[in-house]
Amino acid sequence: MFGYVRPYRDELRLRDYDRYRAAYCGLCRALGKTYGFRARFLVNYDMTFLYLVRASARGGAPCRRCFCPARLFRKKPCLCDEEGFAPVAACTVILCYCKILDNILDSGFFKGLAYRLLKLLYRRAYRRAAKAMPQFDAVVTDRLKALNGLEQAHSASIDATADTFAAIVSACADDLPGDELRRPMQSLLYQVGRYVYLCDALDDLREDVRTDSYNPLRFRFSAGPEGLSDEDLRYFSQLMDSSVNLAGSALSLLPEQSGSPLLENIVYLGLPAVFTAVRAGRFRKQSKVFPRKETGS
Amino acid sequence: MRDPYEVLGVSRTASDSDIKKAYHELVKKYHPDNYANNPLADLASEKMKEINEAYDAIMKARAGESQNAGSSYAGSSYSGSSYGYQSGQSSYGSSQYATVRTYLNNNRLDAADSLLGGMSNRDAEWYYLKGEIAFRRGWLDEARQYYQTACGMAPGNLEYQRAMQNVRGTYTPYRQTNYRQGSDLNDACNICNALLCLNCLCGGCNN
Repeated sequence: MFGYVRPYRDELRLRDYDRYRAAYCGLCRALGKTYGFRARFLVNYDMTFLYLVRASARGGAPCRRCFCPARLFRKKPCLCDEEGFAPVAACTVILCYCKILDNILDSGFFKGLAYRLLKLLYRRAYRRAAKAMPQFDAVVTDRLKALNGLEQAHSASIDATADTFAAIVSACADDLPGDELRRPMQSLLYQVGRYVYLCDALDDLREDVRTDSYNPLRFRFSAGPEGLSDEDLRYFSQLMDSSVNLAGSALSLLPEQSGSPLLENIVYLGLPAVFTAVRAGRFRKQSKVFPRKETGS
Repeated sequence: MRDPYEVLGVSRTASDSDIKKAYHELVKKYHPDNYANNPLADLASEKMKEINEAYDAIMKARAGESQNAGSSYAGSSYSGSSYGYQSGQSSYGSSQYATVRTYLNNNRLDAADSLLGGMSNRDAEWYYLKGEIAFRRGWLDEARQYYQTACGMAPGNLEYQRAMQNVRGTYTPYRQTNYRQGSDLNDACNICNALLCLNCLCGGCNN
């Protein structure tokens, strides 16, 4: 479930775009430094968002030009905020490792072998990360178990299933000090986590109906092979809109920093753009870098 | 106290009208209506208080400076009205419901939920409060189902209707229209409702 939280490029100011890229590169660098070169492959947009949210409580970090293994001959601007990136990098490794474990369970023999290999490759990094953030690791294990239970029971509640994933995302802010800071952050991350989970569920819906696998939307709306009916889809979109509104009202309560227009762009424009693409069945085909403006309806 | 200019996000040399504009923007952002039934309402109202104090402080200071020139500041900061649950709509009596509402105000959702779970009489108020709990947890689908039932059982209740509109994202009197999401504004009845509510609630901010 990665790749759903991105900025909406067409409305992004240049300095925000630069900051976003520098945060992305900074996270990649932090992963490489702490967990070895192969951990750099785990960098993703969603965790960059997590860093930006957490960084709203911190002063501006210096931006330096650093070596990038993907571009051997050019250095790239990169946020250097060791302290800020450390917990985010640990969360990234833990979540990716859990994703690998989940994929092993979900896929067949040959694909499963590939994931088993990945699991071996990332096991050491995972152990280090779990040691760095033991509480988060415990929450993830616990909630994924709960999610598995709900899946086995074919739960028809989209709230309960989304809650497990959203709780994991909001736990990424559990280690922050101060109620005033932590509560809006958790609330924001909760709604974003919920949004991501439900986007993913909608994205997979047809496939899941075809292969007769579990999908909360399938049981909640009794969806057929064509996906949701128009009316259900309208209702579902309203639920998603409410999530964005709640995320937005939590976002307003974060301390104001230079980063807030960027976060507003991601929450108010990026998330809905991704949802619209998922809804139209265009998300997976779309260019992988930043959702573009809609053409046509 | 923080520097009032910093709170409003304006420079010290900004004109009075710029300050007023910045102030109104912030009031829109943190208005209690945007945080209706929201577990973060207390933080928002603190923020609102800070903004009001900052605005008053700046305006007073400026009035003091320019008193010789003859202008004086007649305090016109927005007097925030907070819509507590005590505000009357619920004359349904039952003291247990009152307790549940107190729990809700204190964000004690589990306590409220278990109290409701123990009640056998399930009327509109019960469904509404169940919806409130779900909404505060972020369980929006469930919240909407409960609100729907409550509205169906007591069609005339404005509080329930407002909650319903809130969860549908159509109750947006103070929201920034360029960003807020809400795709269901084409219902004429909803618009009338929203205007009515707006009229009732908006008395405090005419200037």
